This record gives sequence, C-alpha cells and structure tokens, in this order.
Amino acid sequence: MANQKEYIRNRADSKIGKIVVDRDLCIGAASCIAVSSTTFELDNENKAIVIGGDAVDDATLIMAAESCPTKAIILFDKEGKQVFPK
Amino acid sequence: MEKYKYLIAGGGVAGATAAETIRGRDSEGSIAIVNEEPYMLYSRVMLSKPNFFLGQIPFESIWLKGKEWYEKNRVVFMGAKKLEKLETGRKLATLSDGTQIEYDKLLLATGVCTREWQVAGADKKGVFYLRTLEDGKKIIEAVKTGKRAIVIGGGFIGFEMADMLHLAGLDVTMVIRENYFWEPLLNEASGRMIEKAMTENGVKILYNLLVNEVLGNEEVKGVLLSNGTRLDCDMIICGIGAECHTDWIKSIGLNVNRGILANEYLETNLPDIWTAGDTAEFKDLILDETVQIGNWVNAREQGRIAAINMTGERKPFKFVSFYTTQGMGVTIAFVGDVRMGPDRIVIQRGSPEINSYGRIIILDKGSRKEVEGATFINRTKEMGSVAKLIESNMDVSNKTKELGDPNFDLKLLLPAI
Repeated sequence: MANQKEYIRNRADSKIGKIVVDRDLCIGAASCIAVSSTTFELDNENKAIVIGGDAVDDATLIMAAESCPTKAIILFDKEGKQVFPK
Repeated sequence: MEKYKYLIAGGGVAGATAAETIRGRDSEGSIAIVNEEPYMLYSRVMLSKPNFFLGQIPFESIWLKGKEWYEKNRVVFMGAKKLEKLETGRKLATLSDGTQIEYDKLLLATGVCTREWQVAGADKKGVFYLRTLEDGKKIIEAVKTGKRAIVIGGGFIGFEMADMLHLAGLDVTMVIRENYFWEPLLNEASGRMIEKAMTENGVKILYNLLVNEVLGNEEVKGVLLSNGTRLDCDMIICGIGAECHTDWIKSIGLNVNRGILANEYLETNLPDIWTAGDTAEFKDLILDETVQIGNWVNAREQGRIAAINMTGERKPFKFVSFYTTQGMGVTIAFVGDVRMGPDRIVIQRGSPEINSYGRIIILDKGSRKEVEGATFINRTKEMGSVAKLIESNMDVSNKTKELGDPNFDLKLLLPAI
C-alpha cells in the first residue's frame, strides 16, 4: 500500500465522502492550497494535508485535486468509488 | 486558412488551463493550442523530481491531459509547431510550418527558455539542461551509466538535480558562483542549513567559482574551474536560470522587458493579446510592482485569469505566489516577495541551531508595517498562514513579538474569515 493518508468528508451537500493524499506522489507544489487554503496546507515534510475536509463545495474541491501536478489528491464518493482522477 | 476564436500559443499549464477555463465559459467558441513540444499537457514540475527520474513512480504519471480531454473539450492541439510571426492588425498568426491562422483573441503563454551556458566546450555531449520532456529523457538515460556529475547553479534546479543524482548513486559536485546556496534570495544562515544537509549526504559544494572550460573531445570528461582546478566528470547539468527570447515579439510592437509586459488583467499593450505564465511580466497588485514569476502555481492561476478576461469579464490577477522544494532531509519554502531592500526588515522565527528557521520579510512603510514575503527552512507548515498575511495587507507594527516567536501559531494573527 502506498503511503496514503485518508480524510473523511461529512458535508451534507457533497457527493464526495473521502479525500486521499498520496504522500509519495505529493511534491509540495502547493497548487491545491492556491485553490483552497481552507481545505489543504503543507506540513513540515512539504506534503499536503487536509485541514478542513468540509470547508468547500464539491466543485472547488475537485478543482483543487485537478490542479495537482502529480495527481496526488484522490477523491472518492460516499459509496467508496473513485471519482478523481477518472 | 484556419480560423479560431481563441488561439493559445503554448500548451503548458498556463495555456491548457486557459483553454479549459475558456471552454467552461464559452461552449461554442473555437479554441486552438499551438505548442512547441509535441506533447499534450504534462507535469513539468515532475521533470526535476527524483522519484520520477529514478522510476519510483511510473513514467506515465507525468501525463495530465490526454487526447480524449482535448477532443471532448473541442480544443485543437497543434504539437511540434511554434508561433513565428504575428500580423496584429490583420490578427494573423504564422506558425513554424507555414500554417496561417486567423484569430480573434490571442494568449501568449510560451514559457521561458533555459539560459544557455556560455562556456567553451559547453556544446559537448554530456552537458544537459532541463526544460522539456526530451531534456528529462536524456538525463534519465545518462544517469543510468553516469558515475561523476557536476551541477552548475545553486537554485531549485541545481538543488533538485543534485538530490536526484545523489540518490542515483553518482558522485555529485556542485559549482556555484555565489558565496552560499541561493544567494541572495536566502540569507547566509539559511543557505548554510541547506549546505549542511547536502554535504552530510555526500554532495560536494564549491562556491565562488565559475567553470572556465568544459574538457573532453566530443564527450564531457571534466571541467576547468576559474581557480585553475580540474574536476573530472562524465555529465554536467546546468541550472543557471531562464530567459525569454523576445526579439521577434518586440519587432511587432509588443512591449517587452525581460518578459512580455502586461497589466494586472494580463493584457499586453496590443488589443486582444494577453499573456500568462513564466513569460508574463505583469503588474502585481499585491506587491505593487511589475514582476515575472516562474512557477507552476502562478502559471496555472494566470492561465485561468487570462481566460476569464479573454471571455469578456474584467478580473485582475491578484495572487500571492509560493514555491517549495525538498530533498536530502531539508524542506525549503518561499512565499511572496523575498527580496531584500533598505525598507525591509526581517523577523526571524526559530534558528539554524534547532534546524527549523524562518524569515518573515516586512515592508516598513513608516506609519505601518506589512508582511511582504517569507522563506522557511524546515518550517513549510507556516507558508499558508504567511500567504494570507501578505494578502491581507494587515498592519503588523504591534505584532512583531508574535511573528518572532517560533512557538506562536501564525494562524491566530489572521483576520477572521
């Protein structure tokens, strides 16, 4: 299993139930933070962590995941099906 | 003759993000991207990362947008072609293969070129630069058989390439013109922290030196340094900065300095021509000056804002830029404007002794003080809070104690959202 960290999302208006950051892929480019600094920040190892899993709507969260230059952010729906990257 | 409503020169992250944003706002308008490299959007930042070079993540992970994306979004991709001529009055672009394209709106997002190393013998086999995917592939091959490498330049590319070469098992020596790593963007204490991490990993660093000559016949065998020393090597990677080749652009009346000049809307001085990404030298509303910034996050955001403006809105680009890297057990982060000057004060957080050291750069405006930028060694976590402090333009005159306390949570200074 890759070095992945999971974060549960509980937002009622959201189809996304889980955010996963692949710490091996993450290079600290911080593009996710540029899109949503209320959801992500970098830790002291330069890896993205989720600080507010429910902070933004689905469209913004997907945009943050899409912005990642290494596709290190993986999104799952509430049934556990991967929705990004497709 | 081909005709497109939106013509985008440059298919990197700025150009591709612009195409994506335009399509989201104008479902009918025709879009074409002209790209010098044959490849569709890939992750250029991955090119300098050791885990990519050394095959620890699959090569395929570099691709970010495939053929299906361009088809689905009706974005015509013209690879291995370059914009070579512009007749701005007729809105006519001529490409390197002679194709002529009429456009309504044009985005120049062509990136920058690596600065060429002006040293005798620099054209020998075994001297590498890193800009394109082809460059990356050549280095991947060379590393497989290389034994001794020299890295020229003490910036991001130099740092990341030294890390990669060291992890690949090569003997690595860095030749740096300055007195310490990343001078003058970092202070000496920060530079020495990076040096310590690198030398502990076996990378040798030589300062205050230039290469006078690259030795060898057809292939690199070594270098002759400015102090007369000869160093043997079988490969050299140059990371000595970037530049734009703007002569032909200048000749058509576009205002150019180091990059293509633009206002805060990323508009150039000519009608219906915008610029975005590394090539843009734009009016930064947060810093209140004209700057050129070369990094992924900035390029992506500029592509998005330029596209919004190309589709009829008027939205200024307002963004605090940041960049981070890591390697050999050290993390480095830059946020905002980290240049020093007579009106700037530095507040230190932590120290090299505890191996966690930040510098908050404050602009002293006399009656008030504002955070302008910061550099962090092994304290990346604070980067986000500082970005928000910069964006807020908050007066921090009576907050210097908190800013200088390494245990104080900077988030507590932020205005409530």
